[in-house]
Amino acid sequence: MTAPGRELGALRFLLRNPRRVLPAVVVQALVTALVLAVVTPLTGFGATVEANLRPLTVYTAVTPMRRADFDDDLARVLDGNPALERRVEAKALWMRTPMVVGESFTMLVALRAAEHADFLARVGNRLVAGVLPAPGTDGAAVHADVARARGMKVGDAFGRLVDLEDPTPGRFTVTGIVDGPSRVGLIDFDYAALPTFVLSRIESFQVVYARPGRKAESDAYLNGAKDAEGRLAFRVWDEAFWRKRTAKLLENLPTILNAVVGSISVIVALVVVLLTLIAFQARSDEFALLLAVGITRRRLAGKVLVENLLCAGAALALGLGLGYGFLAWWDVAVLRPKAILIDFFAPYPLALASALPLVAAVASAAILTLRLRRMDPVAILQRRNA
Amino acid sequence: MSADVVLAARGLALVYGEGPRRVRAVAGLELEVRRGEFVGLVGPSGSGKSSLLFLLAGLRRPTAGHVELLGRPLAVAPDANADARRRHVGFVFQEPFLVPYLSVRENALVAAVDAAAGPRVEALAERVGVTALLDERPHRLSGGERQRAGLLRALVNDPDLILADEPTAFLDHPTGHAVMDVLRAQGRRSALVVVTHDPEMLAGADRVLHLRDGALEAAPALDVARRGGPRVSGPGSG
Repeated sequence: MTAPGRELGALRFLLRNPRRVLPAVVVQALVTALVLAVVTPLTGFGATVEANLRPLTVYTAVTPMRRADFDDDLARVLDGNPALERRVEAKALWMRTPMVVGESFTMLVALRAAEHADFLARVGNRLVAGVLPAPGTDGAAVHADVARARGMKVGDAFGRLVDLEDPTPGRFTVTGIVDGPSRVGLIDFDYAALPTFVLSRIESFQVVYARPGRKAESDAYLNGAKDAEGRLAFRVWDEAFWRKRTAKLLENLPTILNAVVGSISVIVALVVVLLTLIAFQARSDEFALLLAVGITRRRLAGKVLVENLLCAGAALALGLGLGYGFLAWWDVAVLRPKAILIDFFAPYPLALASALPLVAAVASAAILTLRLRRMDPVAILQRRNA
Repeated sequence: MSADVVLAARGLALVYGEGPRRVRAVAGLELEVRRGEFVGLVGPSGSGKSSLLFLLAGLRRPTAGHVELLGRPLAVAPDANADARRRHVGFVFQEPFLVPYLSVRENALVAAVDAAAGPRVEALAERVGVTALLDERPHRLSGGERQRAGLLRALVNDPDLILADEPTAFLDHPTGHAVMDVLRAQGRRSALVVVTHDPEMLAGADRVLHLRDGALEAAPALDVARRGGPRVSGPGSG
């Protein structure tokens, strides 16, 4: 014995009417997949920023605020840092790295050879090919992402002296490839101190390692440190500084994304509503009959809403499957070889893609509810009789 | 009002359209139908017989007056009276409307009011002659079978009032008579109002009413009356 009214179950309608249901499900699924596939790679900006910022969770770089180089006065200020573990003299260059749109720049830290291994260990990277740069040479150990993106291998040369379009000053030869979570490369300090680089306005850095667990304290000290004249002593290139700077660079991205996805959503919602209205027209006899035999409009509206939500759920599952399947293939076949990072399960594209079929379902159900409210079952039944 | 009056119309009126296109379909109609009574309703095409039936069923809002079902006024809004319709009224449509994706059994149960409807469908199907078709979908049924399936749905809640709008219009004579036999049998326990063009189908009717200019009057001589079937009388008599 079954409970009365189960015959009107939404699932029963959906399973028995695949030809009516599938077009709307497939349209929604494809657009869900499209949104996911388009928006997720744009999170690569964020993922790349994270990879570039990762080393700054280990060390902080500082340059003199108002002086050409570190003198004894500034050295004393640095050494007065209560959270200081040790500091290392350094220089820094930037290496161009392609992105989805435009390019980013990856740091090449110039350290003395004795510091290389320690630096790599601290930032979580390791040498995976070749050797680290020898003292006084133009050798460079570049990050594997950058090497892959620029098609470089051990023995290749780069820099403005090799390619006028290359913004990295001078000339470097790839002697090694390093890999790991921190997108940073290594060059030799003595080579980077040559006059060529002085003319290129390469600043002197100090790489500051804080005591374990006291990096925030160290950064706060460096940001507030004053020189002998009572002025701020350092420009501090810490994680907070770079986050703020990159956030400003990317601040318009969500606006553009929202506009694109919003437009797609409206178009898809209209298409789905149109498909639903066509389906409704085809079901007008059914609804008229059900109203005539005593099923209320409220119950029918509920049935339509559940049907739409189930369709949306199916479309969402199918769309996410298709979208992530495509992304997985794209990531392996296209993005990774170009060193383009994506945040695979970024919440923003997932939320956008998920909202689409749900919004379409609710919009369809709302419109059908309005149509049901205006429906005159007698007119339909009598028209059929006539 | 007698306790066995199932359906009563009090000053019932229905006007269509406005201005020069205004049509008075039903004008101040008074009617009582008692339990066990079989009332035939005849009239020329377009006289508003079906509209009257929809009014009596509570599916149309009357312009004036009201309908009483089992002694209680039927709410004028179809959604407000839906539960009463579902429980107490069985409607047999001229066109045997069925939900296309449901089987005959499921179509019968679509408006069922209690869990006992399932077993009731089995017994009814035997009487209506669709036992073998209970699990078939409508597209596999002939016109007569579809009409029987519609009948099954109309009777599933053991209604107090059965309203049938040209239930044999699209059927051959033997099938039409079979459908009417079922209705008449059920009508002994309920009140039965049948709209038809075919006087033969009104054999056994207690009264046959004629709708003319929106008012009911006793039907003139009908073939069926000569067959000794219905007693021809005025709308208010019982």
